[in-house]
Amino acid sequence: MDPLTILTTMFILMVQEGSILLIATLGEIFTERSGILNLGVEGLMCFGALSSFVVYYLTGNWITATLAAALAGLALSLIHAFVSITLKANQTVSGLAITILGLGLSSFIGRPLALSRVRIEPLESVRIPVLSDLPVIGPSFFNQNPLVYLSYIMVIILWFILYKTGFGLNLRSVGENPSMADSLGINVFLTRYIATSVGGALCGVSGALLILGYYPSWYDGITAGRGWIAVALVIFSSWNPLYAFFGAYFFGLVGTLNATFQSIGFRVIPTDFFRTLPYLLTIVVLVIFSSTRFRKRKMPASLGKPYTREL
Amino acid sequence: MSVEKSRRSFLRDAAFALGGVAVGAGLGYIAAGGGQAPTTQTVTKTVTQTSTQAAEKKVVAGFVYVGPVSDYGWTHAHDAGRAYAKSVCPWLETKIVESVEEAKVQGAIETLIGQGCNIIFTTSFGFMEGTAEAAQKHPDLYFAHCSGYKSGAAGNAPQNLSAYFAEFYQLYYLNGLAAGAVTETGVLGYVGAVPIPEVIRHINAFVLGAKEAAKARGKDIKVYVQWLNAWFDPEGANKAATSLVENNNADVLAFTEDTPTVLQVAESYQKKGKKVWSFSHYSDMSKEGPNAHLTGQVVNWGPIYVDFVTQVYARSWRSVDIWARVGDYMPYKWANLSNPKVEYDGAVYLAPLNPVIPENVRALIALRWQQMKEMLFEPFTGPIKDMDGNLRLKDGERATHDILWNMDWHVEGVQTPLPK
Repeated sequence: MDPLTILTTMFILMVQEGSILLIATLGEIFTERSGILNLGVEGLMCFGALSSFVVYYLTGNWITATLAAALAGLALSLIHAFVSITLKANQTVSGLAITILGLGLSSFIGRPLALSRVRIEPLESVRIPVLSDLPVIGPSFFNQNPLVYLSYIMVIILWFILYKTGFGLNLRSVGENPSMADSLGINVFLTRYIATSVGGALCGVSGALLILGYYPSWYDGITAGRGWIAVALVIFSSWNPLYAFFGAYFFGLVGTLNATFQSIGFRVIPTDFFRTLPYLLTIVVLVIFSSTRFRKRKMPASLGKPYTREL
Repeated sequence: MSVEKSRRSFLRDAAFALGGVAVGAGLGYIAAGGGQAPTTQTVTKTVTQTSTQAAEKKVVAGFVYVGPVSDYGWTHAHDAGRAYAKSVCPWLETKIVESVEEAKVQGAIETLIGQGCNIIFTTSFGFMEGTAEAAQKHPDLYFAHCSGYKSGAAGNAPQNLSAYFAEFYQLYYLNGLAAGAVTETGVLGYVGAVPIPEVIRHINAFVLGAKEAAKARGKDIKVYVQWLNAWFDPEGANKAATSLVENNNADVLAFTEDTPTVLQVAESYQKKGKKVWSFSHYSDMSKEGPNAHLTGQVVNWGPIYVDFVTQVYARSWRSVDIWARVGDYMPYKWANLSNPKVEYDGAVYLAPLNPVIPENVRALIALRWQQMKEMLFEPFTGPIKDMDGNLRLKDGERATHDILWNMDWHVEGVQTPLPK
């Protein structure tokens, strides 16, 4: 067994899992930057996965299917937007409700699909010339399906929007100090609605990548807690799309350790430990990053706080 | 289907038209289908019971499932069995409770009893204690628990509790024959759920089969195992399967995990032009891997459920501890002569064989199937050494139920030591 092979396998698996996490994390970053906390990621992913699965099965077109997932995520997150922006309700509760709703709705609608064992052809990998010939990085990062490439592109696009455009500046200022933003003539409500629905759409696309790319049949529990890891990754990446790239792949890498250590016959650490590792890391990350100093510096100051216009 | 028709008409005739003795004989025959050698005593008892009491007008069977029926393996298969029983027993009504947490089994059972159920099936190992307690509490109702060891027959629970399970190790042996016949690298991979005796004997049986088929080709077999420590873990299964192919050069992947993920990984390799094969698990998954699917183990709980509800219907209950294997629950095989396409061939059977398996090995698989059905062949027959070279079964010695039930060692050929 040569070490280069093992490393390459590790990286291939890391990119698979990491890209799914990455898209959802990017979506949640975009939402949270506007001051809206959406804990519904898991439900949005699941509903997106189901929607893309159905549309891909009916049309055989992955682009339409991905759009359907985005629409599904958008539609569901609009409920969250309405409840938390317009009705000014508690965002944590509303987000949890979206998770439950998304999972339940998918389970209910997907039931006949699961029972009749419908299957689809998974997306095929597209090899990027030259780059895919690089050792380790080539087969892992540059021989993947188109949605994985989309995740790389989204990192750049979101970073650009947030930091290099006027809209991004408005969005960030709405997340920091909505009354100030409002006094400057920024439409706080509209900005937050846009941020929440775009973020929700991305969470849906992440579900599409999950099911169209790697797990091409529908059954209950397909998202398996990835949405919660994405929520933690947002904090881990300090609400910055560029850091999210590294955070998502770091978590992806951690997830491959169980299989890799069993491959090389390293048996000192039991497999149970690796199964809990991503969640353990999540807790550790939350503890470290929730220190007051860090929060003050990085977290959008008005995250989770409903905005009421003072008259 | 002629099988169903004949069964239905048979039951109707047995229940209404024939006299008590004939009913007794007929039911004795159904009970004998369980492969638990029927004793004369049983038949006699059945006769007295049925001749003095009329059959129940209606049976309401309640099912407590650990997962949703829309999962991909375990619960889905049980619900298909329930549907089958309902389709062949016109007097049967069924009710289900899905996704029941193991600690809440008693509440689910009470709910079903409240809805008028007179027999309750619980289908998870963790439901065992709760089911035994409910059986104690409701001596006038019947209970059957899947995958445990408590029953009236085993002597550790009330007489109104039966235990049942479908055993796959013989089918894993047949899978192994297929794997040994198609492998090019001589390396096989196994994605295992949890290192318990059940999974360990499945791996061992698979290895023994692979070695038999590979020996005929002058090949040696190495088997690597990846453990998930979970029954449902598509993500882990994907990683384990990919690692076995990439890192260990395995080209046949067997697995115990409740989703078709491992087969899908094999299929995606086939799409890329790499020959990697895999199997069905619990239900026929051949559609999930049109190219990669070799064969696989499939369970049909249907006949087992028909057997239990028929016992309640005819008031001929006796507690049993069923361990259904190849050939069990095939009491109507004579009907198959006129119906070459038989879907339900016993409680456990093989998924369709991929034509890539050579003709002589297909014949060998058929032969071993027949021999196991008649108990003329046992995969675990000595001499068998474990992976450390210790002789575990002497020349000609067959593994007993206890040896199989408590297996905690790997046969020669497995490269991965068991987790401590």
